[in-house]
Amino acid sequence: MKSWTRREFGRSTGAMALAGLGPRLAASESKARVVVVGGGIGGATAAKYLAVSAPTIEITLVEPKPNYTTCFFSNLYLTGLCSLESLTHGYETLAQRHGINVIHDSVAAVDPVAKTVGLKSGPKLPYDRVVVAPGITFNYDAIAGYDEAATQVIPHAWNAGPQTQLLRRQLESMEDGGVFVLVAPPNPFRCPPAPYERASLVAYYFKQHKPRSRILILDAKDSFNAQDLFLDAWERHYRGMIEWLPAQFTGGIKAIDVKERSVETASETFKAAVANVIPPQMAGQFAQQNGLVDQSGWCPIDPITFESKLQPGTHVVGDASSAGDMPKSAFVANSQAKACAFAIAAALTGSERQSPHLFNTCYTFLSPDDAVSNAVSFKPVAGTIKIVDNFGSQVQESAETRHRTAREAQSWYTAFTRDTFGYAAF
Amino acid sequence: MRKMIAISIAAGLLIIVADCSQAADRDGGAQLAAMCASCHRLDGGDGGIPTILGMSPEMLTRTMLAYRSHERPSHIMRAIALSLSDEEIATVARYLAALNRQVRP
Ligand SMILES: Cc1cc2nc3c(=O)[nH]c(=O)nc-3n(C[C@H](O)[C@H](O)[C@H](O)COP(=O)(O)OP(=O)(O)OC[C@H]3O[C@@H](n4cnc5c(N)ncnc54)[C@H](O)[C@@H]3O)c2cc1C
Repeated sequence: MKSWTRREFGRSTGAMALAGLGPRLAASESKARVVVVGGGIGGATAAKYLAVSAPTIEITLVEPKPNYTTCFFSNLYLTGLCSLESLTHGYETLAQRHGINVIHDSVAAVDPVAKTVGLKSGPKLPYDRVVVAPGITFNYDAIAGYDEAATQVIPHAWNAGPQTQLLRRQLESMEDGGVFVLVAPPNPFRCPPAPYERASLVAYYFKQHKPRSRILILDAKDSFNAQDLFLDAWERHYRGMIEWLPAQFTGGIKAIDVKERSVETASETFKAAVANVIPPQMAGQFAQQNGLVDQSGWCPIDPITFESKLQPGTHVVGDASSAGDMPKSAFVANSQAKACAFAIAAALTGSERQSPHLFNTCYTFLSPDDAVSNAVSFKPVAGTIKIVDNFGSQVQESAETRHRTAREAQSWYTAFTRDTFGYAAF
Repeated sequence: MRKMIAISIAAGLLIIVADCSQAADRDGGAQLAAMCASCHRLDGGDGGIPTILGMSPEMLTRTMLAYRSHERPSHIMRAIALSLSDEEIATVARYLAALNRQVRP
């Protein structure tokens, strides 16, 4: 199915050759190759926009899973407001419509000298540039008693799919009157408002089905993203149901007792009916193992091209990157991936590159029809990325505004996943 | 690419005679429109977020400037409109208006 894109391209280079656009034709003959590691939001977007902006480049996307389930909106699934299928997306459009070679495998290693990417199953793929977007991994050394095996009893549900399903089953089988204990991670972590959105939507679910139940948030921090908006919503919608304890109150999270389902803090041990531990995070394992991270645990990058500061020829986008003020969100991963794809296309084909426009937009549900939004623009400054403007919802907004924002959020989900996985007009 | 070429032809920018500035305008328009595609469906579909296809370049430009001046309220559109230069707004407006002619249901 690659063929029609290539065929069409053949025709266009013919026309350009007539017009004397030499550089493009020369680039097409050399057949530059880009390998993308990870078919999450960052990787899928990078592959698609490379295909869209530089049809002469051969693009291979390597992702172990046959389908991708989004973390965004998974808090709605958790509380019965949408299905997991509606959050799951395949790679067919990227392969068929955009001519991307999609391989379902894991990448074992990048060899920056030989310029090859080694697949777990054995083959090595040569590349001119490689884009790495492996997302996050969890630092299981940080909380005693909580390791990978423990996630099967006390889920983190911070990657969507089986973990989210497990947490939903636990919430459904919990008896009314129990306490849901959510352990919120230290900064930086994937999606700053998401733990608190989760608490809000679980409270909504309890209000409908288990009204005597409560939520306790044990935070590794002393404050959190959009705190005023959440505290206001908790007071209006879920009075007395959600308690938030900052680190300065508990002295911090010390250990998890999986058998007892309890969380030990420096001051007190809290027993849960259902527990959800979101551990501290760092760049995906692949980045850790391939020399892409610095002592912060994240990948330093050039703020314009997203090329690794540690390994030339390798670009890192999405949660794994350390991109100044940019938070770890799907919107950011998509925005970075576009800038990176255009920069790579320019480097490999000689096409024009505009200065990058980097944004984050975030929709957060406080209840199914009370949502808030915020939007931030960024700009590369002196080797890093800085916030330029930041606009967001206010506490005193009308119910209509909040309702409209919730509708907008649903519409955003459709457009955004189409943009990432290849259904939009491009 | 197929689409971009089709668009160029539809917009009367014949590729055979394309000069560098037109190519740059087209590439720039596509790169800027990529940013719009994170929220707006560019296949003509609509929802809680209105479509931006079917508007003339003048209308699109005027709307962006209204967001920039906060005459029309939207956190997102305001941040975006402020980050684009007048020239970029004109470029993306031309690109989107041309894209509209190519959209199939
Ligand atoms: C509950 C929750 C709610 C959220 N809500 C929002 C929201 O409303 N808006 C928003 O913008 N963001 C939201 N996010 C954040 C968003 O999900 C992430 O920021 C985003 O997924 C990051 O994209 P990524 O490409 O960096 O990583 P991912 O999307 O995690 O993709 C990484 C991919 O790499 C693959 N991979 C890993 N290692 C390898 C390897 N060795 N070889 C091949 N492939 C590999 C993985 O299988 C995976 O598919 C939310 C997150 C959570 C947890």
